[in-house]
Amino acid sequence: MPNKSAACHLSPHKPTPARVNEPSYIMAVTRNGHMSEYVMEYAVTVAQRLGYAILAVHVDTLPLFNRGRRGRLFAAAMQESAALLIAKARHQEVVVEHLGEIGKIGDVVGRLCRSNKRIEFVVIDKGIRQEEVARLAPVPVFSVKNTQQGLFNRPLSHTTNKQGVFAMFTSSKKQYVQQCVIFGILTSALYASVFAYQDIVMTYFSKGGIYAVLPVATVFAVSYFHGNFTSSFWSALGIEAARKSSAQHVAPEKQATNTVKAPRPDTRPRLQINV
Amino acid sequence: MHGPIGEVIQFIDLNVYTITFLFLVGFIGGLVSGFIGSGGAFVLTPGMMSLGVPGTVAVASNMCHKFPKALVGAIKRYKYGQVDIKLGLIMGIFAELGVQVGIMIQKRILDTWGQAGSNLYVSLIFVLVLVTVGSFVMRDAMRMRRSRTETDSGMNLAKRLQRIELWPMLELKVANLRISMWFLIPVALATGMLAATIAVGGFIGVPGLMYIIGVTSIVASATELVVAFVMGLGGTLIWAYYGMVDIRLVLIILAGSLFGVQLGAIGTTYVKDYMIKYVMALIMLIVAVSRFLALPKYLNELHLISLSDLMVGIMNKMSFGIMCLALLIGATIILTSLFKARRLERAAGTNIF
Repeated sequence: MPNKSAACHLSPHKPTPARVNEPSYIMAVTRNGHMSEYVMEYAVTVAQRLGYAILAVHVDTLPLFNRGRRGRLFAAAMQESAALLIAKARHQEVVVEHLGEIGKIGDVVGRLCRSNKRIEFVVIDKGIRQEEVARLAPVPVFSVKNTQQGLFNRPLSHTTNKQGVFAMFTSSKKQYVQQCVIFGILTSALYASVFAYQDIVMTYFSKGGIYAVLPVATVFAVSYFHGNFTSSFWSALGIEAARKSSAQHVAPEKQATNTVKAPRPDTRPRLQINV
Repeated sequence: MHGPIGEVIQFIDLNVYTITFLFLVGFIGGLVSGFIGSGGAFVLTPGMMSLGVPGTVAVASNMCHKFPKALVGAIKRYKYGQVDIKLGLIMGIFAELGVQVGIMIQKRILDTWGQAGSNLYVSLIFVLVLVTVGSFVMRDAMRMRRSRTETDSGMNLAKRLQRIELWPMLELKVANLRISMWFLIPVALATGMLAATIAVGGFIGVPGLMYIIGVTSIVASATELVVAFVMGLGGTLIWAYYGMVDIRLVLIILAGSLFGVQLGAIGTTYVKDYMIKYVMALIMLIVAVSRFLALPKYLNELHLISLSDLMVGIMNKMSFGIMCLALLIGATIILTSLFKARRLERAAGTNIF
């Protein structure tokens, strides 16, 4: 009987003694051979600040494709990348563990999070969709945005520090008006040419056979020019999608939390002493 | 394929009335299609025929305007993260098969019972499908509206089907579900068959995706645009091969419908999930009434009932009028909820500052 009463005192939410002494990890995941520098730096900096270790995971998501030479290159890149991260981490006195995995990103992350390691959160590299991982991970998932990736990632149209919070609004509205004018002219030209020469157009377009390509190509052109014109027309008028549309964007993610598997029961033997 | 048709097709002359009518119907049809995924084009075929366009040219031109409209709508809604391209393409391919089956059935009925029999068959299918599916969707929309929940209530069947592991299983990321292809194929075939019969496959496709596959109404209506694009492109190539497409009519309708489809797609980002179901069900039920009024004409032609020509004429006009009314009501609800939601959003925005 004493054993029974002792067992009742154990709360399932209380960490077991063995668990407490385990280090906490930040999981840095990439599907590329080389992990991005900024992901490494972010993981090392945060790990050092919080006193965590890093679990670097390279996931080969295309095992069938990465065979032979590609497979060897991937493995070599993985080793190189891991060595670089370990070197970076050594300076900050952060422990790094490295794993090479095969499979789907979401499954791998989900499995590792439920393993014996205490993963606090996951940092994903470029090329991985956040919702794909977040769906199966029981811990928070972050993607690190880089602001120094070259010309394409910089805002080109305005400088935010000069124009304040409305900078984006004003500049994009001007852009929409410009697009509206350009595509409006192109659409008008297309329509004008069809209706100005409607006799010739109708003769050839209704010939059938191989001439079937003509009407189909024309409507594709219209859907591009007129489609862009109408889109920028409504945007220029200020009629755009609701701001909550981004919330709808991730709506499936919300549902996915229901499908997350329950944590694996801890079946390790433990000692209980009744005094 | 037997090659292009040799006979001379009469294309109509355009005037201000024709252009205005086609532009407006195109806009309203586009608005509804952008919002509920399909259903905006059914007025156009009878509408064009009332302008004197031959039946085949009206059907061909309608189909030729539908697929670019669906393409533009699908791209727009893809930007909002609402389109499951994989689901749309797979469904589109099988729906194309369904269209061929539907055409074969139509041909057999035409050979057996003649034109009036075929028309009666089309109208009966119209009424049966629209009343059954429309009332089911309407009941669900009402229930969701009353309980004010965002989740779909009529999804028990879908949940059961999703649990059945039957190879090949489809992982649908945007729709966020996993289901066997064997459950998708019948929905796609039925969509194609309905499209071949009444020209609006979406009246089966969207509810099928919602209640059998388990997709939310926003994703279902957006994905239906991909299905409509695939089916429309296939159909247009066939009609254009026979030289039946009047590109002038197509361009005028597209001029209006692309404005509408963009606005309809924007509208989906403002409304609650049940609103799409509500608008769809309302249109379906009103169109069912319209087609019901067209039944006596064909029954008369088959000598199953005897009605005076005047009576039949009035009922025919009423049928077309109610069909236009269905679109108008749908468009009004969409525009009202869009602008109402925008006003609320703006008000909320000013409160923050």
